[in-house]
Amino acid sequence: MKNEEIIRVEELSKSFGEHEVLRKIDFEVNRGEVICILGSSGSGKSTLLRCINRLEKPSYGRVFFHGKELGKSQKEINSYRSKVGMVFQSFNLFNNMTVLKNCMECTRKVLHLPKEEAYDRAILHLKSVGMAPYINALPAQLSGGQKQRVAIARGLCMNPEVLLFDEPTSALDPEMVGEVLNVMKSLSKTGLTMLIVTHEMGFARDVSDRVLFMDKGYIVEDAPPEKFFTSPDNSRTKEFLSRYMAG
Amino acid sequence: MGNTPNGVFEWVLFIAREYSDLFITGTIITLAVAVIGTLIGFVLGFVMGIVEDTKIDEDDNIVWKVILGLLKGICKIYIEIFRDTPMIVQAMIIYFGIRQCGFEIDPIAAGIIVTTLNTGAYMAETVRGGIKSIDVGQREGALAMGMSPVSVMLFIVLPQAFKNIIPEMVNMFLTNLKMTSVLNVIGVKELFLQAKTAGGTYYKYLESYLTIAVIYFVLCFVFNRLFLLLEKKIAGKKDYVLAVEHMDNNE
Repeated sequence: MKNEEIIRVEELSKSFGEHEVLRKIDFEVNRGEVICILGSSGSGKSTLLRCINRLEKPSYGRVFFHGKELGKSQKEINSYRSKVGMVFQSFNLFNNMTVLKNCMECTRKVLHLPKEEAYDRAILHLKSVGMAPYINALPAQLSGGQKQRVAIARGLCMNPEVLLFDEPTSALDPEMVGEVLNVMKSLSKTGLTMLIVTHEMGFARDVSDRVLFMDKGYIVEDAPPEKFFTSPDNSRTKEFLSRYMAG
Repeated sequence: MGNTPNGVFEWVLFIAREYSDLFITGTIITLAVAVIGTLIGFVLGFVMGIVEDTKIDEDDNIVWKVILGLLKGICKIYIEIFRDTPMIVQAMIIYFGIRQCGFEIDPIAAGIIVTTLNTGAYMAETVRGGIKSIDVGQREGALAMGMSPVSVMLFIVLPQAFKNIIPEMVNMFLTNLKMTSVLNVIGVKELFLQAKTAGGTYYKYLESYLTIAVIYFVLCFVFNRLFLLLEKKIAGKKDYVLAVEHMDNNE
């Protein structure tokens, strides 16, 4: 069941000027997998996610979606993005729209769902993250954790095949991290394919099927969590983990 | 003449009454030029602000790249020229320029063109600033779900940018209302020119200009209050109602 490949990247590289952030990354995401990407700041984790969603244009390399190479036309990229959602560190909700409208905007404008269907979907997913009572609120009226839960619901409304999470809890104060991780934990049990950049080790250990470790633009470790956290192959991973365990 | 007006105040009243039709026509023309010029100028400003904000992507096709590059160039030159020259000079050049090319043009039409072009040049920068004030995150949030860049601009960025620059737009309109006075040099029968005419007969220039000063003041004052009210209305309410029908036990 876990071998249906959804996304594959080949030799994905990205430089900002002289600075190489990603160096020939190869990996694949299979249906139903929950993959956590760990690594210290500046190791290229976020850039990798952004390249997968094409918010950054890779300098080199290819991205395949269901075995078909992603082209360059805006139309193709739009349709691909509608199936590969993204949740951001800073939530990126639409500030001028209520919670409900935030969750209906893209289903209406991108998927062209009729209003009733878009509404039902929005309520369904807002309920699943516990934010349905707040449909009339504006983002500015919510706490960070609530905003992020709305952002997750907004992503789910598109019925994505993969949902990318770019450090979803890094901008939250400690009290709110839990509520967002809980939502993500229950999502991971629904069979949704998730690719998560995070610093939450405990979470990565609990929910992921695979853990990737990035260092200096390379993926240096790709292992199931049991192996990753107990007997990693790479020395850099060991160093990283020992510092985490010590701290 | 038994009831010759005495003092400035009486003269003002006398002139205002005597030439009321001049002042009324003047007010209407001033308003018409300012309103039409400002509105079309806003549209122009928005179009140019968006053009300026659009980035040329290396993956775009060559035709689009050339068109966009050209548009950007034209915008830049146009904005620079109109911001760096006085409106009174622009009015002269445009009016006499058009006539010299052999076209009959009504001074009012020329006045509207000048106001429009002037407004457009200033608004383009304001709109660009307004667009820039919307954080990139919101755009990325929409793009990441497959919304096209055009839709992102239309549905996410512009509504917010528009709201943010309303005070600037009100400012621009009030400025235009007053700046139409320079159009007297090309013979637009707006308030200033009417005051000149009205003052001439009795050599009561001060009183005549005092009259239009009051009219300008009242117009600007009233519009300013109206727009403030409107702004407050657009800002919307500060609280929200919990949707109790969607509450469940764990909330």
